[in-house]
Amino acid sequence: MPHNDILSKAARQSGMTVPDGYFADFQKRMEASLPEMPWEKQTPKVMPRTFWQKTRPYIYMAAMFLGVWCMMKMFDFMRPSSSNMTIETNPGITAAINNDAFFNDYVVPTLDDSALLDDLYEEGFEASDFN
Amino acid sequence: MSTDSNDTERDTLVQRLQNPATCRQAFSEVIARYSEPLYWQIRRMVQSHDDANDLLQNTFMKAWTSIDNFRGDAKLSTWLYKIAINESLTFLEREKKRSSMSIDDEDSYLINAIEADKDIDGDQLRLELRKAIALLPEKQRIVFNMRYYDDMKYEQMSEILGTSVGALKASYHLAVKKIEQYFADYD
Repeated sequence: MPHNDILSKAARQSGMTVPDGYFADFQKRMEASLPEMPWEKQTPKVMPRTFWQKTRPYIYMAAMFLGVWCMMKMFDFMRPSSSNMTIETNPGITAAINNDAFFNDYVVPTLDDSALLDDLYEEGFEASDFN
Repeated sequence: MSTDSNDTERDTLVQRLQNPATCRQAFSEVIARYSEPLYWQIRRMVQSHDDANDLLQNTFMKAWTSIDNFRGDAKLSTWLYKIAINESLTFLEREKKRSSMSIDDEDSYLINAIEADKDIDGDQLRLELRKAIALLPEKQRIVFNMRYYDDMKYEQMSEILGTSVGALKASYHLAVKKIEQYFADYD
């Protein structure tokens, strides 16, 4: 056989074979053995915080203090208006003080004798003045 | 199918490989498309089916684990061929060291592998041709296999092997001469 014909006679075939269905089987095996790669895992998307999300806790806190203040103000309004009056401007107290019977029954008995005497002494009265 | 549509299909495949959401499915298509040509390239280098099977798996595994490094600048097939050839050469080097062979003994290692190969069609001429190729120097062997069996263009071979087209043509021409000489001596 002429030696330069050998390559054409071999017809670009190596004579090597593979088991039946090898390539189909290989593909299945290969696909199954591919490991999961880090970039395949879905990482949760971190959304940037909005202005509302950032300020919400502070706004809630301010609203709470405002609520407390309003509540206190409300209680204050609900209290009797007489509490704002002084003794001089309160007609009930003025009338009571000017009423001798009331004064003697409710105010005088609460005074201690020794305290009264001390007051008189400081005012310059002497015990002989009462005799 | 025209070359243009093939190129478009390949470009789409590369784009899908670069997208994490479609990468795995696209890689399955890569395996389907390239397992056969890569297998034969490896098999012609290492001769044994079992070794070729292992090396083909290693090739795809390496390609999969480094797919994020594949930017699509080179052709996908070129990149895969490079990996396959490097894997095969590393394997042959390792086998050579493992059996403490000298450089000259590499030929006899391959001849033994050819003779022990059971997955053949029984054609004596083709078997002798494999032995003649096994006696070629490593680079000539790769060039001859790519050109003769795969009918690969010199330009693509140049991209894969990083050798000039002129040098590849000369290498192939020398390989053919050596094979003819082998058969002349055989007679």
